Amino acid sequence: MASSPPAIEVVGLTKDFDGVRAVDDLSFQVGHGEVCGLLGPNGAGKTTTLRVLVGLLRPTKGRASLLGVPMTASNPVLARCGTMIEHADFVPFLSGIRNLELHWQEAGGDFAQANVEEALAIAGLGDAVHRKVKTYSQGMRQRLGVARALLGRPDVMVLDEPTNGLDPAEMREIRQLLGRLSSRGVTILLSSHLLGEVEQVCSHVVVMDRGHLVAAGTLAELTAATSSVYFEVDDLARARQILSSHAGVRSVRDQDPGLVVELDGVRRSELVASLVHANVGVDTVESQHRLEDAFLGLLAGAER
Amino acid sequence: MGGLFRTEMVKQWHRTRTYVVLGLTVLIPLIVAIALKANPPSGPSGGDFTNLALHTGLFLPVVSLRFMSRFLLVIIVVLFAGDAIASEAGWGNLRAMLTRPVGRGRLLLAKLESALLLAVIATALISVTGLIAGTIAFGWHPLNLGIGNLALHMSIAQILGNLGLASLYVLWGISGVAALAFMASTMTDSPAAAVFAGFGLYIVSVILDAITSLGSIRYVLPTHYFDAWTNLFTNPGHGPTSDMLRGTLLQILYVLVFGGIAWWHFRRKDVLS
Repeated sequence: MASSPPAIEVVGLTKDFDGVRAVDDLSFQVGHGEVCGLLGPNGAGKTTTLRVLVGLLRPTKGRASLLGVPMTASNPVLARCGTMIEHADFVPFLSGIRNLELHWQEAGGDFAQANVEEALAIAGLGDAVHRKVKTYSQGMRQRLGVARALLGRPDVMVLDEPTNGLDPAEMREIRQLLGRLSSRGVTILLSSHLLGEVEQVCSHVVVMDRGHLVAAGTLAELTAATSSVYFEVDDLARARQILSSHAGVRSVRDQDPGLVVELDGVRRSELVASLVHANVGVDTVESQHRLEDAFLGLLAGAER
Repeated sequence: MGGLFRTEMVKQWHRTRTYVVLGLTVLIPLIVAIALKANPPSGPSGGDFTNLALHTGLFLPVVSLRFMSRFLLVIIVVLFAGDAIASEAGWGNLRAMLTRPVGRGRLLLAKLESALLLAVIATALISVTGLIAGTIAFGWHPLNLGIGNLALHMSIAQILGNLGLASLYVLWGISGVAALAFMASTMTDSPAAAVFAGFGLYIVSVILDAITSLGSIRYVLPTHYFDAWTNLFTNPGHGPTSDMLRGTLLQILYVLVFGGIAWWHFRRKDVLS
């Protein structure tokens, strides 16, 4: 039986703007139902990649496919895709609800058939949905943008910085929403600068730098190579001495009021056992910024 | 297609700009009527038909069209055309539209249709308001004018027919510069820049047309035959003149060239805004 194509596939994608290469021979895949984070510093080519994926830009070389369909401008497969690229922008003098209605009708859809109830519940704008969009805050626009992307009950969502401009509570709502969508089988590709957010939401990660692919894989694969643990103990000097000399430890550094240990093959439980065996009381053990470390390590490696 | 056109018109009818612009096309004929009634010109009209409006109110829309067609109506039509795509890009809504399966060609056509409809409404409002205000101020009569050896007679049907023809010709006469504004609208995120491109072409064309030393080059300028419609009222028995025909054909050329470039460009354009 032939296997179905990945939900999102980028093959040898290259995009030039006036002689400047924004994306260079980029290839990666996102499987059905996966939540994939697209990471990279500013200028890495993330937004350009997402724009090609939804038909806003024509690739210079290579291709980007959604649900097995090579993307072209206005491709019918876009009906199965919810998008939010860069900022959530709207017609400013129309209300939020009228913007959603026109957005849906522009592609010939019947608004009564759209996923309006859920979209509005997610937007959480209440009566403000009847106000002109020009009166909205950045966070309100962003939430309306997510609602707009959900109108068509999409199979694939392509989101560029979806939590940009949201407060912490709103960001958590969006994370929970993405989790719910993923559990329904929706494939999500999102770019974000917030590594903690990606770590909480994504099962897979693609890292880009200066238009190139740096790494791609599951979150576990990417963070396995670089993990660090934070300890709070009752005897800092003794703990520092034990951990520094322990096999499988790359480095130990102070981070008030505890220590951060960079692991290089050793398990956390072994370190805890060694400390306890040396009569050092262990109050706190927690993994720390694993993706951030992996991300920075990958970028440093790419620069070398 | 109908859906896209309808959504475009919904946007237009919610814009204050639309009402301000259409309000001007109502206001100017009213001002003309009040001014002529309050202070009728005593000398010859000099080709702007103001004296004729004193004999029949049916000529007031002709006077208004003469005043407005050279400047304000050009700005209005160019504004509708230049604003079409650029404003959508300026709001950032264009990329949201194009991440739906909305054909770029269909979108362009819907934008063009809505701009055209607004331009037709603006032109029609000048005539309708002029007719109403003129009738109230100067009456609803045929034109029967005899001064010395000169005689000018036009029936009501003839005046109304020529007024309709003149309105269409004036609108079509602006279509070349409007097509340039529309083309520019597909290339910029700034509606002002697109409008300026169209109106800039109009100004340059008017200036060049005034330089008689340019000879036959002037015949291909988009504004060269702009006033040819006035013959419908100065020589009413002859119908549309050969200059009107040339003016009509010339605009077709400009519309096809600028419209074709807009179509070609927009369908391939990288949408960054």
